Amino acid sequence: MKLLELNNVSIDYKTIEGNIRAVDKICLSIEDGEILGLVGESGCGKTTLIKSIIGLLPQNGTVAEGEIFFENENLLKLTKDEMRKKRWKDISMITQSAMNSLNPVYKISWQIVEAIQAHKEISKEDAYKRAEELFELVGLEKGRLNDYPHQYSGGMKQRAIIAMALALNPKIIIADEPTTALDVIVQSQILERINKLLENYQGSMILVTHDMSVIAQTCTKVAVMYGGKIVEYGEVNQVFKEPNHPYTMGLKNAFPSLVGEKNDLISIPGIPPNLLNEIKGCRFKDRCPFSIEKCSQENPKKTNIEEGFFYCHREEEREKLRVLASKQETWLQENIKE
Amino acid sequence: MITLNKILRMLRNNKVGMIGLLIFLSFVIIAVFADRIAPYDPMKIQYDSDGGVKRLQPPSKEHYLGTTWMGRDVFSQMIVGSRIAVLVGVISAVCVVFIGTNIGLIAGYFGGTLDNVMMRLVDIVYGIPFLPFALILVAILGPGIKNIILAIVLITWRNSSRVIRSQVLSLKNRTFIEAAKLSGASHWRIIYKHIAPNVMPLSLVYVSTTMASAIMTESSLSFLGFGDPLQVSWGKILYACYSSQAMFKAWWWMIPPGIAITLLVLSGYLMGRAFEEIANPKLRER
Amino acid sequence: MRLLKYITKRILVMLLTLFVLVTILFFLFRVVPGDPVSMFIDSGLDRESQELLLKHYGLDKPIGQQYIIYIKNLLKGDFGNSFQYGKSALEVIAERFCNTMILMVTSLIIAFFIGITAGAALAWKRNTKFDMIGTIIALIVRCAPIFWTGMILLSIFAFKLKILPLGGMNTPGMRFDNLLEKYLNFDFLKHLILPAVTAALYSAATPLLVMRTSMLEVIKEDYIELARAKGLKEKRIMRKHAMRTALLPVVTIFAVQAGFAIGGSVLIETVFRWPGMGREIVLAVSFRDYPLAQTAFLLIGVMTALFNLIADILYAYLDPRVALD
Repeated sequence: MKLLELNNVSIDYKTIEGNIRAVDKICLSIEDGEILGLVGESGCGKTTLIKSIIGLLPQNGTVAEGEIFFENENLLKLTKDEMRKKRWKDISMITQSAMNSLNPVYKISWQIVEAIQAHKEISKEDAYKRAEELFELVGLEKGRLNDYPHQYSGGMKQRAIIAMALALNPKIIIADEPTTALDVIVQSQILERINKLLENYQGSMILVTHDMSVIAQTCTKVAVMYGGKIVEYGEVNQVFKEPNHPYTMGLKNAFPSLVGEKNDLISIPGIPPNLLNEIKGCRFKDRCPFSIEKCSQENPKKTNIEEGFFYCHREEEREKLRVLASKQETWLQENIKE
Repeated sequence: MITLNKILRMLRNNKVGMIGLLIFLSFVIIAVFADRIAPYDPMKIQYDSDGGVKRLQPPSKEHYLGTTWMGRDVFSQMIVGSRIAVLVGVISAVCVVFIGTNIGLIAGYFGGTLDNVMMRLVDIVYGIPFLPFALILVAILGPGIKNIILAIVLITWRNSSRVIRSQVLSLKNRTFIEAAKLSGASHWRIIYKHIAPNVMPLSLVYVSTTMASAIMTESSLSFLGFGDPLQVSWGKILYACYSSQAMFKAWWWMIPPGIAITLLVLSGYLMGRAFEEIANPKLRER
Repeated sequence: MRLLKYITKRILVMLLTLFVLVTILFFLFRVVPGDPVSMFIDSGLDRESQELLLKHYGLDKPIGQQYIIYIKNLLKGDFGNSFQYGKSALEVIAERFCNTMILMVTSLIIAFFIGITAGAALAWKRNTKFDMIGTIIALIVRCAPIFWTGMILLSIFAFKLKILPLGGMNTPGMRFDNLLEKYLNFDFLKHLILPAVTAALYSAATPLLVMRTSMLEVIKEDYIELARAKGLKEKRIMRKHAMRTALLPVVTIFAVQAGFAIGGSVLIETVFRWPGMGREIVLAVSFRDYPLAQTAFLLIGVMTALFNLIADILYAYLDPRVALD
């Protein structure tokens, strides 16, 4: 069953310089129990997209068109209060900067109990017991529940947030770069913990990251975002084995692969496009080593493949491109024509 | 490095600061040309054609803001009163910030015992209730502008010195200071050539706010009857109004001095806010 | 334990400050040209009575000795005799101290209540007309002289509308058997309203502006976003999360504000003829009654220091990150 379905969603930001379309006509769906990885560079619209799902776009941001269905109910049609009741109970979140996401003046236990009591008629004692269970689940000592955030290390704070996100058994958890702010060793510990939790967790999850290797370890599906659009979507193993979009090929080769063959690490030259101006043709064309004239003239069409899709003008030659993309010299700045 | 030029340019783009500056400059102009603007001698008792004192007359063509109980012209008093306000404000502000900045610079730069002693001194001065102290000092040394300014200076330097010291502490270890040290510059050269210009916006914040509080202090002391006996000031106008028991009948006597004080003090705070935004870029977004 | 140590340290600094105050005042009153002593003692008296009076007040001894005696007496709790009232200065001031305390504490409570709630409300509605007008009003009230605001309020509520008394603390002629009776009655309350409100208006502006700025800062914090994500009600987010943390800088300025307010009692009490320490200082200074002025000043210093201490402890209580040292 489809748990979450985004239908043609566009999101605009009003700024002094003009309208920015941060998310452009995105269609995406998540099945019950699915773990979707949402990957892309910073500024590609990942965070904007998930904030629209949980209804927390910044004041200058609006969903300009489209529908977001959650259990066949359009979230955009809900009143503020109805949406508020859905948050955390059905859709919870692990925030980008867990370091600063805990209120410094309250004990951790207080903050977890608060989240539980906001949605459940439950005594403080019972809520506290639940918090203890959760702490065990994420590998924190129960005794530390009554500490203040500043007494925690970064990794502990992240675990506490994860515990909080699980508190009400939500149907979907959105994790926004859950490991980015942590140092490498803690990162892998947290990731391991998330993977372990997912084994027993019934709900779905969207994991937002810029790190392809994280996706490979954790997710079942992956959506690659670029310039406010999803350029490729598919089953994780499939996408990793045979990426179809040049951007996915680049991203895949930009991170050391944890499984399988050693690859040359590449980096994609250039910067993401400025969304202030309307872009004609493929959004990746300026940074793509394989772009042809057609790329600047018309938008690439959707190519459906088994359990997925991608947008590229050179879909026919993708096998050849894959080989080229694994070579470092392909991605050198001078080999990319304007 | 922030130069005076740059500060002025930034001030020009700051709406709040410009409003403050405009109000302040208008008062300065009034103060400078007070003699020419004021239609009457502020202390002269006005008589009508029958030789009677023009007591508590409401505003009219001859007396824009009416007359006092003693038959003096309120408008002229207001105009001439601006002199004391501007004078006390500017002189106190310059003295206070000069002292406060130097103490902050020296304590912050040299650190150690000197810093310790100076900061304990600041602590102690913070413990002195300002207005009662000023009152006692002026009462003992005799009412007059000089003593009022002295009282203000003796207390108010504490604010700027503490803040500037902490700014100096954070500047002290920057690379450009290290570089100056390595190149063999003397302590004083480093303090005044390299560090001082960087704390200047902060000093300007205190020039503005000290001016505001000095004006307030002067009018408060004058209101309590400890103003300069030879000069007209806004606080003294209110003192006369209050003690004549006529304030309920003569709004034209009571309202204008308060508005003038409020505006001039406000101008100081507005300029202070603008300089604060310049000194602390983080505030600029708001 | 750490708190105790901290408080002890603060009290030591406070005592040092007070000692410095006493010393400065003592010498100020005596070394100054014009000899305030001679101004006090009626020159019409014959020589013998003059000397007797000097001796009575201990003014015949050299100044160094006077100082040592004065300090010794202070330590014994003897603040000297008031010239005007002819009785112990401390006794005179004790009553005034209570009156000032009641006025100040009332006005500070009102001020911080208004300041915190209004400041938070303005920040919550940032960049609206409501915010702009509110901020401008706060700024203007902040800059208006407190005695003038008092005069205007007096004109309106006491003179024009005649709903509140013109000044003083009780209607003349009322007699009270004990302290409680004196303060716990409707008449006293009516006298308290105008001075307390005037002082509160003035004192509210700064916490209001600080609270507003602090809230604007806090609203951008990640934990506010998480609180929203948690599905908390907006009201709860504002009160429990934003205001609670935004409060910290407001507490920091509490001490300074209280100090200002206590100093400002000199003005408020003069305008409203409130029989407190501030007014007593003005009167004592005018009459050159220096034992009385000194005592009043010292107690105002103690009050300021006490508020400082309260603010520090409050801050440590509100912010768990603060380690007292």
